[in-house]
Amino acid sequence: MVGSSKRWREGAVVLVTLIVAVFTLRVSARHPGELSTLDRGILRLVSPGQAAMSYVARAITGVAGRYVELTGVRAENEALHRDNRKLRTELMEMRRLAEESGRYQRLLGLRDATPAETIAARVIAVDASPYFRVARVDLDRGEGTVRRGMPVLTPEGVVGRINRVAGKSSDVLLLVDPRSALDIIVPRTGGRGILRGKSGENGYRCSIEYLARGEPVKEGDAVVTSGVGGAFPRNMAVGHVTRIIPGAVGLYQDVEVTPDVDFARLTDVLVIVAPPPAPDPEPGSHHTPGRGLTVFK
Amino acid sequence: MRSAATLFVAYLLLILQSTVLELAPVHMAVPSFALLVVLHVGLSPKWTISSSAVVAFVTGYLFDLVSGAPQGVHAFVFTLMALFARALTTRVAVNGIVLGAATSFVASLLSAFLIVLVRAQVAPEGGWGGLRQAPLEAVLTAIAGPFVLSLFRRLDGRVDRARSRVGLARGPRSGLSGSLSSR
Repeated sequence: MVGSSKRWREGAVVLVTLIVAVFTLRVSARHPGELSTLDRGILRLVSPGQAAMSYVARAITGVAGRYVELTGVRAENEALHRDNRKLRTELMEMRRLAEESGRYQRLLGLRDATPAETIAARVIAVDASPYFRVARVDLDRGEGTVRRGMPVLTPEGVVGRINRVAGKSSDVLLLVDPRSALDIIVPRTGGRGILRGKSGENGYRCSIEYLARGEPVKEGDAVVTSGVGGAFPRNMAVGHVTRIIPGAVGLYQDVEVTPDVDFARLTDVLVIVAPPPAPDPEPGSHHTPGRGLTVFK
Repeated sequence: MRSAATLFVAYLLLILQSTVLELAPVHMAVPSFALLVVLHVGLSPKWTISSSAVVAFVTGYLFDLVSGAPQGVHAFVFTLMALFARALTTRVAVNGIVLGAATSFVASLLSAFLIVLVRAQVAPEGGWGGLRQAPLEAVLTAIAGPFVLSLFRRLDGRVDRARSRVGLARGPRSGLSGSLSSR
């Protein structure tokens, strides 16, 4: 009798768990990108751990990479003194710092070149699941100003859009996620289409939809943002055509694009929090348009 | 206490999974540590079916938050996977490195299929793609599987010792789960 009631209780708990899971799925399908207070609280707890682990992981890969270099040098130079090795280590550390500094300078260059208000962010996690291409970023500042749909860039090109926001950290839906869609243009032909992520590939790939056959593209053609929609500035680098799939029938070409951004090596990004200022209708006047905050949809 | 300790280790593994790309030579897929947590609670005789389902749900929910997936996708799939693992224990005793790796491999493939299936319902714009990465992810999960499962067995052992010190030691599961596992 006791065993039977326990079995029922066990079964009931399992059933309730499954029902809660289905209910959660339904809610997230209806309101994608929205987080409950509990979710935001959990993410606030998780993000520092991710940031710390990311920092440690980067330090380890840096040291490991340098170690591999060092073992080669050591084999050839066994006679070198300890001081020499210390100097080399210092030199490598300086190189790493210089490389990091260069990255920040490129980011600053992009910030200066981007005609919109931006916030820098550090990538703390990327691609936890291969079925959802999402990166988590920690904002430098401006907590509360970032909204869903805001564009994210690096000096190499477009990264994606903000998908979920929880305090200082945000999820970025990468360009290569199949849920991502971006209006693009092929400058050589002037052809326009929609760039979508291809999650089924063993590589970071996208495809262009609705690219008319009348404007045939070639492998190597650059792909840039069209600026349509107002979120992304026009002519931002997106990627290059790497494959034209033959045999496609109908009105449109079947084209594969490799993004210019290496998503496996993302470290720092810029979030555009306001669109570029509108062109001055009276170039002679001294009026400068303000950079107000716009909510992207 | 067992659930809390398991969830804490699961949290650490999830953080590792979301940052492991920095370390991994393969950049397209990572081992699914979260799934291995679920497999452990499903396969271990020390967990009741209800507590394994609840821990699987919480692990999946946490993974949804960490990975940026729509809420509920992994929570639902992982709950099913815990039930799958529990059903598996009625047929096979998953012991040893080879069986641990094989079970992790099969479970990873199955969960990949379920994730893509559920994703297609929740976010139809994502389509049915993604399964090409499943074999690679399954191989990585199979490699990590025996180690992670062994880690959790040790954790369970420590929890048992701690419980026995305060007179709360628990034997193998009973009730519905016990009847499922009797063979």
